[in-house]
Amino acid sequence: MGLFIEDYKVSGADTVALEDSIMQKGKQVTAGSRILDNFTSPFNATVVDRLLDGGFKISGRTVMDEFGLLKLSRDDDNTPSGALRAVSEGISAYALCNDLFGRYRGEAPKNDCCYIHPTYGTVSRYGLIPLASSMDQIGIVCKDLSQGFKLLSHLAGKDPKDGAMFPDSSYNYGTTDEKITLGVPRSVVEKADEGTREAIMDFIKEFSSTDINLEYFDLYNQVMYILSSAEISSNLSRYDGIKFGYRASGYTNIDDLYIKTRSEGFGLDAKLTAIMGAMILSKDQYGPYYEKAMKIRRLIKESVKFDTYKVIVLPCRISDDPYENLALYSLAPLAGLPSVSFSYKGHGIQLVAGVKKENLLLSTWEVSMA
Amino acid sequence: MKYETVMGLEVHVELATKSKLFCACSTEFGSDINENVCPVCAGMPGTSLMVNKKAVELAIAAGLLTNSEISPRITFDKKNYFYPDLPSGYQLTQLYSPICKNGWVEIETDAGKKKINLVQIHLEEDAGKLIHDDWTDTTLIDFNRAAVPLIEIVTRPDFRSAEEVVAFLEKLRSLLSFADVSDCKMQEGSMRCDLNLSVREKGTEKLGTRTEIKNMNSLKAIAAAIAYESQRHIDALETGDEVLIQETRRWDDSIGATFSMRDKEDATDYRVFPNPDIMPVFIDDEWIDAVGSNLPETAQDKFIRLTQGLGLPEYDSEIITRSKNLSNIFDETLKHFNNPKEVANWIIVELLSIAKGDNKGEDDVRIDCRKFAKLIELVDGRTINRNVGKKILSLILEEGIDPVEYAEKNKLGMINDTSLITSTIQEVLSENPKALEEYRGGSKKVHGFFVGQIMRKLGGKANPQIVNKLLVEALKEI
Ligand SMILES: [Zn+2]
Repeated sequence: MGLFIEDYKVSGADTVALEDSIMQKGKQVTAGSRILDNFTSPFNATVVDRLLDGGFKISGRTVMDEFGLLKLSRDDDNTPSGALRAVSEGISAYALCNDLFGRYRGEAPKNDCCYIHPTYGTVSRYGLIPLASSMDQIGIVCKDLSQGFKLLSHLAGKDPKDGAMFPDSSYNYGTTDEKITLGVPRSVVEKADEGTREAIMDFIKEFSSTDINLEYFDLYNQVMYILSSAEISSNLSRYDGIKFGYRASGYTNIDDLYIKTRSEGFGLDAKLTAIMGAMILSKDQYGPYYEKAMKIRRLIKESVKFDTYKVIVLPCRISDDPYENLALYSLAPLAGLPSVSFSYKGHGIQLVAGVKKENLLLSTWEVSMA
Repeated sequence: MKYETVMGLEVHVELATKSKLFCACSTEFGSDINENVCPVCAGMPGTSLMVNKKAVELAIAAGLLTNSEISPRITFDKKNYFYPDLPSGYQLTQLYSPICKNGWVEIETDAGKKKINLVQIHLEEDAGKLIHDDWTDTTLIDFNRAAVPLIEIVTRPDFRSAEEVVAFLEKLRSLLSFADVSDCKMQEGSMRCDLNLSVREKGTEKLGTRTEIKNMNSLKAIAAAIAYESQRHIDALETGDEVLIQETRRWDDSIGATFSMRDKEDATDYRVFPNPDIMPVFIDDEWIDAVGSNLPETAQDKFIRLTQGLGLPEYDSEIITRSKNLSNIFDETLKHFNNPKEVANWIIVELLSIAKGDNKGEDDVRIDCRKFAKLIELVDGRTINRNVGKKILSLILEEGIDPVEYAEKNKLGMINDTSLITSTIQEVLSENPKALEEYRGGSKKVHGFFVGQIMRKLGGKANPQIVNKLLVEALKEI
């Protein structure tokens, strides 16, 4: 499978590939789903306008997993997503995507790339095909974090067209003099393979660090899965074959139209998530699942205080089971925190900092690379 | 009476905002199909929702007018269900944090005054409209109404009679329309109501089986539906021929009966959850005070101003303050011609009778108040007579003519010239010897005949008082 859906045949240091979930005026946007066949975006995503204003060139639209959903159903597809390949193969300097479930954060280091997941509410999501609205965040695949943050400074800042943003009109990304203390959750790090454990031990030697206990870590993936499924199932309900996108041919009534359109238009992961989310929100399950998960989400947010430590260090893989690995990528979206992932001595490392503390992440990375 | 009917209402009122609840699209009624639709209200992916501040203010106003508590922080929830008129597959409403709680409205019926308690008032969005084309047997959708802001007013089951329900809806309409919260037109659907009804033996506590009635679009229909449905419940309780079930029923106005909708409405699980896309809106006391101090005069205040301030009769004041529209016409016309009595008279007698002839209600009459004022001034100043004035009024309404220009151009000025009128009287008397004979024989009704003839000769423009006076004198001399 090619990595571009549309290849604009440009190259150079200022090229940016767009994952197919980012809307471009007049272009077909499918988010990797047949349900959006024939959907032409009527407007540009704000990040697209900002890229163009910043003098960047869009290199193409890349293939992606359907809507960027969590692939629990099968793990046979080991080829990295188009956005990641575009950067790792040197076709594009950067790529933008929405990495809700950690696929990019996990695979970037293996492909000699870095990933920036900015603080929730700092980059406009106007024109991003929504997945789970309370967690969606456009991020950057890049070769080098300092370059990546330069690109981010063009994208971040309040957009009047996105109602869920911080008021800051722009952000100054750079290194900081603030003292960096790393928080190391031993019990999580211990789950990683030996090579990664050693790499992390080497990494933290360069800083002052403290052992921390990530409270509720065992629940991270469950909370993430429950809340994202609920939000996604509601967000997918707009795809009904009525107004835009794919519509099945040959139907006898409205229910038949819905059923055929969605049966043919959605892939297995979308169907599973829609059904799971609908169940979670149903009258009987709302309390035990959705409400409880919301409570734990709040507790998780409150539990990471960044008081005695400033940056949390995590591995990028702790299991062969994608659901267990999801726990590693849940903290940032659940708590709206910024994170980066990159390769250190050949192993994937992930850093998470407090809200709008991107500069700590950049400084930590720079010290480790020096 | 052995039975008691217990009722509660859910009233949907369309807010009088210029734009929709979460986007800048116009809410104008009567636009072309799908003219007022953008990516946001069409449910397209990638869009974001901004709460319309004006809609929040109108809901606060509704809360203040109904003695409600206003919530300091409001959020919106997603109510999920599939229907083609619902663009995003969910309706945005407020289940978990309604903007107003625990209000009450005082009503008055023949039985006296009574407080109707409100559970809550919440903001929500309207849906689009399905249009079935029989010719091609297809259903098309007009999304102009999609995401138009509504408030839903939910009462406690405090109603015991149709009179109370009607009095409540009239009071609500008066409160909300005078405050410009909504025009509250049931016919156009800007005020809609669903009714919960159950019947129990009088004196008992336990509520009977409850049915919900939909599709009543006039106060008359509501009263008729209550009468029908109560009787159906009573019959079921007394005869046991029919077993009452909790269900939603549709009122059919042409048949005069309710029918089960069998839409499994009660079984639908709407999977309501907090919308993560919309930031909470904070409402502080300062904002509430600002809305409160900008509230226009209520109908009640206006009635007092008209009767006590302007000295109008209660009857006239009552009619004018029954409709926000008539009130506006009254105030606006008074600005241009400051004679409350005459203005009220022309509205009640002339304007409303023309409106009635055109099948228009009090709320639908539209007139250029400056022209209306000029016309009243022309008649009041005896420049034209009242009959000519009535004709000009019709022309103002139909063609928008200017009364002064029109009267001048068509020489409609009143004839006050006594010598012209006297000579015309003489002409008429001499041309109608037979009628004169009858008059001599004692028939008084020929007086009217003579007036008609004289007016006709003078093109209907003669000053009727002068004609009368001179005719009486002329007849005496015969
Ligand atoms: Zn709109």
